[in-house]
Amino acid sequence: MAIDKVTLEILSNHCRAATESMAYTLYRTAHSTFVKETEDFTIALITPAGKTFAIPLDLGATWFPGLDYRNVLDMVDGGYEEGDIAFTNDPYSGYVATHSPDLHLWKPIFHDGELVAFSSGHIHNTDIGGAVPASLSRSLVEIHQEGIRFAPCKLYKRGELNRELLDVMMTNVRQPEQNWGDLKAFVGAMNTGERKVKEMVAKFGVETFHQGVEDLMDYAEHQAREILRGMPDGAYFFSDYTDEDSESERNPCRLALTLTIDGDSATLDFTGSDPQLTSSINVPTGGYAHHTLMLVGVYYVLYTLNPNIMLNCGLTRPFTCILPKGTVVNPEFPAAVGMRSLTCGRLRSLVFGAFSLAIPERMPAAPAGSSSIVNVMTTDNTSGRRIIAAIDPVVGGAGGMPHADGPDGSGADASYLKNTPVELIEAEVPIEIMRYGLSPDSGGAGENRGGLGTWLEFKVFSPGTRITARNRDRTRFRPWGILGGKAGRPSNFIRNPDTPEEEILGNRDTLTAEPGDVLRFYGPGGGGRGDPLDRDPKRVLRDVERGCVSMHAARADYGVVIADGAVNAAETESLRADLRAAARPSGHFDFGPEREDYEKHWSRDAYDALTEILANLPVHWRFFVKSRIFDAMNAADRGGAETVRAAFAEIAEDHPQIRQYE
Amino acid sequence: MAYRVGVDIGGTFIDFCVFDTATWELSTLKVLTTPADPGAEVIEGMRRLSEKYGIDPAAVESFIHGTTVGVNTVIQRKGARMALFTTENFSDVLEVARLRMPESYSLFSTRPEPLITRDRVFGLKERIRADGSIHTPLDPGSVRDALDRATAGGVEGVIVSLLHGWRNPAHEEQVADILRREAPDLFVFTSHEIWPVIREYERTTTAIINGYVHPRVAAYLGSLQDALKESGVTAEPLVTKSNGGVMSAELGKTSCVNMVLSGTASGVIGGAFVARSCGVENAITLDIGGTSADVAVVIDGAPQYGMGEKIGEFPLYIPSVSVTSIGDGGGSIARVDDFGVLKVGPESAGSDPGPACYGQGGDQPTITDAFAVCGFLGHHALAYESVSLDMDKARAAVGTLARRLDRSVEETAEAIIQVTVSSMYMEINKLTARYGIDLRDFALVTFGGAGPMLGCFLAKELHMRQVVIPTTPGVTSALGGLVADIRNDFVKTVFATAADAIGSIPADFEELSARALDWLHSEQHHAGTHTLHPSADMRYTGQSFEIEVPLDPDWLVNGNLAAILDAFHRRHDEVYAFSDSDAEVQIMNLRLVVAGAIEKPTLKALPPADGPADPVRDVQVWFGGEQITVPLYERDRLRAGQTLAGPAVIAQSDTTSCIPDGFMGTVDAHGSIILALQEVS
Repeated sequence: MAIDKVTLEILSNHCRAATESMAYTLYRTAHSTFVKETEDFTIALITPAGKTFAIPLDLGATWFPGLDYRNVLDMVDGGYEEGDIAFTNDPYSGYVATHSPDLHLWKPIFHDGELVAFSSGHIHNTDIGGAVPASLSRSLVEIHQEGIRFAPCKLYKRGELNRELLDVMMTNVRQPEQNWGDLKAFVGAMNTGERKVKEMVAKFGVETFHQGVEDLMDYAEHQAREILRGMPDGAYFFSDYTDEDSESERNPCRLALTLTIDGDSATLDFTGSDPQLTSSINVPTGGYAHHTLMLVGVYYVLYTLNPNIMLNCGLTRPFTCILPKGTVVNPEFPAAVGMRSLTCGRLRSLVFGAFSLAIPERMPAAPAGSSSIVNVMTTDNTSGRRIIAAIDPVVGGAGGMPHADGPDGSGADASYLKNTPVELIEAEVPIEIMRYGLSPDSGGAGENRGGLGTWLEFKVFSPGTRITARNRDRTRFRPWGILGGKAGRPSNFIRNPDTPEEEILGNRDTLTAEPGDVLRFYGPGGGGRGDPLDRDPKRVLRDVERGCVSMHAARADYGVVIADGAVNAAETESLRADLRAAARPSGHFDFGPEREDYEKHWSRDAYDALTEILANLPVHWRFFVKSRIFDAMNAADRGGAETVRAAFAEIAEDHPQIRQYE
Repeated sequence: MAYRVGVDIGGTFIDFCVFDTATWELSTLKVLTTPADPGAEVIEGMRRLSEKYGIDPAAVESFIHGTTVGVNTVIQRKGARMALFTTENFSDVLEVARLRMPESYSLFSTRPEPLITRDRVFGLKERIRADGSIHTPLDPGSVRDALDRATAGGVEGVIVSLLHGWRNPAHEEQVADILRREAPDLFVFTSHEIWPVIREYERTTTAIINGYVHPRVAAYLGSLQDALKESGVTAEPLVTKSNGGVMSAELGKTSCVNMVLSGTASGVIGGAFVARSCGVENAITLDIGGTSADVAVVIDGAPQYGMGEKIGEFPLYIPSVSVTSIGDGGGSIARVDDFGVLKVGPESAGSDPGPACYGQGGDQPTITDAFAVCGFLGHHALAYESVSLDMDKARAAVGTLARRLDRSVEETAEAIIQVTVSSMYMEINKLTARYGIDLRDFALVTFGGAGPMLGCFLAKELHMRQVVIPTTPGVTSALGGLVADIRNDFVKTVFATAADAIGSIPADFEELSARALDWLHSEQHHAGTHTLHPSADMRYTGQSFEIEVPLDPDWLVNGNLAAILDAFHRRHDEVYAFSDSDAEVQIMNLRLVVAGAIEKPTLKALPPADGPADPVRDVQVWFGGEQITVPLYERDRLRAGQTLAGPAVIAQSDTTSCIPDGFMGTVDAHGSIILALQEVS
């Protein structure tokens, strides 16, 4: 029987207190910047069955409130005893860790010999060994290149540290001191959680505690179902792309979603998403129907619609994911997964887009959907010292919202990153920041404008300066606008802009720069929402005064004529009438010319044909065949399903081993 | 005969706290705030003080004032219209801020609109490098262009904040000169004069808050000065500062940023003073008002300081008493959501209309109504007789929830109290984890109108063993002003490895000391003793945050690198539970606090009495799921040394204290009640 609703609220506050205490303990005592600045960690309390029932809100990443540890709990030999702490970082053991730098820990908590909960969480290690520093690169193709992996096992047994195991880790990673420092802090947080849970059990009694945590999940489920009930039933199809599926092929990676809302539950069918890729942007889920990585976009939608929602596993219950095997959303061992965060960013856009079809009046347009941290490795010409430093994140704005413009610079699902003050960068790194701020005209035009992307430009002074910027995307396919709003401007990376030597680098994520080189990064702008011709001219004028929109764009995109610092009402009205008359009818989305052109070849039919062909192939053939079909499509005058099938027929002709799948 | 008067002006009341320096008599007074007419309430208060207590305004030797005018100007966005002159290509410093958004899970999370919008931010042609050398000399033409455009947009003042201005203020000074020459009507503040630290956003926004509140604060302090003169007070008024000290009101007109958190800081100083007078060195101060609760940590008798305290939605980067504001106050509203769960806050009935039981038009059930329904309130005139209690309205408001929870009205009221306590428990828990402290070593010092009502319940939940309720909990902030030192902070950004910096440290310290003493003597005319408290903001190379390390002046004078490093490693270990004596260490800032001692009043001793205190009568309260009879004490009648045991209710004109079972109280020599939580089985 459920506990009473007053006790439930009190228990909820105590659970939150426990997890916040754990998170602050970790944050306070950890060593690495990944924890201190990026806050790439999570903290949770989980039930004996592995369900997350409480998380902190003040600190940490946003991805794991619905994480289910059930698969890994049983993989540990010998059951659990007081003082044990188990861990894993293997993406293919239970699908809890989702790339190898993420180390998950869990500690059983007992009351009178009975297991009552686990404290748990994850921390992103800056490096876990493997082929490249920091363990992550798009170019890696199998998990073994991505560092040392530990299947679920005990790091502490009855309070005793397994030093041999620890030594194995320390021997294989590039910054053992830092990993160990963070791990110690993490263990401190687990112990804090244990103490807090014991206090709760003492306060509420073990029966109430057990039932209460179940009720907390029922509460979250109830809230999620209430939100779904308020949405119209129906099937909503949407697809979105990452610009490049791999460094070698650079074809788009398509993600597809059919969101079916039926009463108070929903199905998310990802059929039609790309095959598993020969690069590291695969998302390991094990095909689990409630996998948290597939539902991160859903958490955002639910929280946005009800900011009082409980964040725990109960939220995931009304949602069922269909994740076909051997695809980018359910890759088979040993596919590389290190850079899955790039795909995860697009998966969130995908979910936002599908929900925007279901409840257009309550959803924003697409956020920038790409954030990458720029790192510089250079030599100080005075001291001769080698300096490695994270410069600034290049981020973009949020999408236009129902009630207001999208925030500039960052926002929506990329709210957590902090920048580094220009003064600190220049004092520590021998580069000159030439410009840092917002990129004018980058926000998608709309009645509510998309947020502007950031602009970072700097000059280097030393030969062989290495620039890296992981997770770069949206230089080709723009953040989409909705309801008449226009897509945001794509991101870019340019060497020596506005000079004869200008070089457009697009999604390049590593570069060696030479003395005098200027590097410019733009973040993407958020999508616009609503017809820009309906935007109050006064708001357009304000944007022009504030440098968010140029005079030219005010005219061209908004039909607003500004002269002598004021709106010319008559000319604006007539220009707007002309623009309305000339406008093409617009659909729900505006994708920008790049995607429109692309989809002239790669229509939905063409993708259906491709999906059907690839789904029939053995997994190890899929990426190869996809790439060859793309070659053929790129060479063909016209696209469509027939061209896809013809291309496959030719490939099968060349490779008799796969003819049987034709 | 001489008096020292502390005055704290809040949203609803002005609290006066008067010490008679001959008799150590403490008198208090509350006057309703008249926001439209600053100064009027001071005149009214002085008139009432002289009427009620026979206090001659001419005998007031010091008048110390804490005010929320600064913070309210920011919250209500009623400050000056200004322009920001900054470095070209970096004009989005306010829009981008530090990038991070306030809420991580919401697609609608937004940054507050900057106090200076982008159309009034102008980039100047100039550039200084990180080492202070000139990359591009200032183009005076670009200053004049910016000035033309700023004045066309109608501004009252200009903030000048240029890249690396902390390292080399030459360009900021040149710009200010041009502005003062060519636009003498505009006020001008430069970032290096307000608080010269590295980090452009933090330095700029701090200078902006200074300018933003400047006209209103200056006008307010001006009318305060006039009002005092009119009342016959000849002493130069002092204002309390965010750093817990005081300075002259005259200086407050320009150093506005230093008094923005004047009110909250003096509450903590007052709480710490009371704690100390009871022999308590480690305390959590809890000041609960109508809409929120302010919590602060006092360790070894000293409040904790921090940077980045919030002023409304904006962070302020000058050293301030660290106060965490929680959205639970006496006016917080309880509701039941659609799953049937009882929630309290963050919506508040505030002071207008206030709790339903105040009978001023409120009909929503608040925390205060819950206490009223349980029978804790209404035994004594509330809020200095300005409010009378309407029990029926309280019951009706709480009753709306009772039906939905399927509980009696009393049970519902108790549930509201329990939920409130659990949510405050959660917030204070975060604070203790942040500081890494064990609350069992701390006493809860609880004040403000609603503090003593909730304090004991909360202490129990937090496993704290001691609660202190000051003699006059309603005027602790005003008391804080009376006991604060004249205090100011000075900073010099060093930003070098400790080894590189050590050569210039003795000279830097000498410079800071000279500035500090000049401020104390020439500007504040302080004749008494003083102390200097140097510290440094330090970090391991590669860290992106620093910690403040208190230093011994001798180490700085002698350039004792080993001692400074050792202090840093030990401090790092205290704060973060690890240190690395082999790692390279950077000194970001050298800081100096000068404190000119003000003679501390000693709280007057109460007449002693032995044994248990005498209750005035028994009252019925609902507690622990049943109606019980508990003794009611009147605070005025308590005598030093008397004891009382929970459950009990203590009434006084500025608050009601609720003492649950398990607490044993003793009245200390000065009238504070010290409650110890007995081990209950």
